[in-house]
Amino acid sequence: MPFELGIMTFGEVTEDLATGALPSPRQRVRETIEQAQVADQVGLDVFGVGEHHRTDFVGSAPTILLAAAAERTETIKLTSSVTVLSSEDPVRVWEQFATIDLLSAGRAEIIAGRGSYTESFPLFGYDMKDYADLFREKLDLLLKIREQNPITWQGRFRPALVDADIGPRADGDTIPVWVGVGGSPASAVSTGRLGLPMALALLLGPITTHVPTLEHYRAAAAEAGHDVNALPVSINTHGFVGRSSQHARDTMYPYFAKGMLENNHQRGEGFLIPRAAFDAQSSPRAGLLVGSAQEVIDKLLAYHELYGLNRAIIQMGFGGVPQKEHLEAIERLGTEVAPVVRREVAAQERSAA
Amino acid sequence: MSAPTIADTAPGTTEAGAPALRVVVVNGSPNEQSKTMGLVGVVLDTLGGMLPIETSRIDVYRLGPGFTEATERDEVTPEVDATIRLAEEADLLISATPVYRGSYPGMFKHFFDLVDQYALANKPVLLAATGGTDRHALVLEHALRPLFGFFQALTVPVAFFGSAGDFDGTTLLNPSVYGRIEMGLNDVVGVLRERRGLGR
Repeated sequence: MPFELGIMTFGEVTEDLATGALPSPRQRVRETIEQAQVADQVGLDVFGVGEHHRTDFVGSAPTILLAAAAERTETIKLTSSVTVLSSEDPVRVWEQFATIDLLSAGRAEIIAGRGSYTESFPLFGYDMKDYADLFREKLDLLLKIREQNPITWQGRFRPALVDADIGPRADGDTIPVWVGVGGSPASAVSTGRLGLPMALALLLGPITTHVPTLEHYRAAAAEAGHDVNALPVSINTHGFVGRSSQHARDTMYPYFAKGMLENNHQRGEGFLIPRAAFDAQSSPRAGLLVGSAQEVIDKLLAYHELYGLNRAIIQMGFGGVPQKEHLEAIERLGTEVAPVVRREVAAQERSAA
Repeated sequence: MSAPTIADTAPGTTEAGAPALRVVVVNGSPNEQSKTMGLVGVVLDTLGGMLPIETSRIDVYRLGPGFTEATERDEVTPEVDATIRLAEEADLLISATPVYRGSYPGMFKHFFDLVDQYALANKPVLLAATGGTDRHALVLEHALRPLFGFFQALTVPVAFFGSAGDFDGTTLLNPSVYGRIEMGLNDVVGVLRERRGLGR
């Protein structure tokens, strides 16, 4: 499997820390498409948009942004990162991604997740008590729609389908469906049992944090009779490719710390990650993909060796990194990092074969 | 109150006609479906594969006012008294609870506050708990084990903990927890075999 590198965004609407100016939502949707365009031009493999149902993001309807991106790009794959499938109707999800697949001549992908942010549950009338059952059932339906048409299906959370004709169909044979996993052993096991590709979300911590998660995933897949070597694994993680080590860290830190406020609580309050803690997370044995092109190359290769990765999707604009800086980082990732990583991984795989 | 549920494990005759092991689960979760009982389900399935068992379960949150209004044992209703006696007369007691505010819930402790001081002496007691994260795992050693230390019970050396990420809903998926349950029960299966029918 060739190694794929990509980027993702949540479409943050947060102020530029240098100027204090808040970008307009109109500006941010245009900037989001521009990010896809640059990623495509510099030869990156994947562009992802994550789903957040709030006014400080423009990513509540990722499929619409991906459709717009389809019109401005040529070869890059277009994925949700993630689709909060638990609070969606899988029929609608299929229809939308199949349409993107036609618009983009077969470049649509879905990463289905349970949702690390759960704002969409009350919004669409779902109960958090059904968190696990919702995901299981909706993933089951999505996969069945992908497999067969017309379809007859019955479940708890939506009306039954009787001989339903669901279209359009995919542009090619199929649309890849990955499962987004936050790192809990149980999610890894259930994804492995289904034999689906896993997109592992990494936040902070040692680079080795998810070695056991991968072991659980592959053991469960093998036990269920799936070919483990044919199952792609991706990491979705934060990072930034700078002109130098220092430039990368200095640029990423203030935005990342601000973006993480909501995920990093102490005594119920958002807590700014100290710079020393951020620098520790940027070291070679920690997870963040931040640094000079060479540092990011080294860390991606380390991830590849540890996890047997086939894909990495990096979120480089988290917290609202200004567009100019963000685009330059995308360019460095595509032109300086990606060719070396692809070449090294291919060489390793040849020597292993 | 709802009567303790008697699971349908056959009381069965066993090798050499020995009776089944009478297992009583004291459940500290308020929920109908719970991770705590998901964890205990795996313990019971594993144990049931090692020797014949007969299972009852006491849901402390469903024992009602005849339980919650009593401050002393002689104030409980006859039904509640029978339920507590069921725990006192088990061959193996499984004490299972979620972590609330850093420890077992008050309702769970209230049950054991009504148990006779010497009824659990030298009785095999297995400890199980669930919590939101692994940070709570030591509740087994720092809260549950001392409680049964007071009772001079024979606690099983390996205690079982599951954190939220180990479960899909209430189904335990983490293989390392399964492995730990297997190992912990293997340690004591010999003792349990000898204790069949000796609870009361």
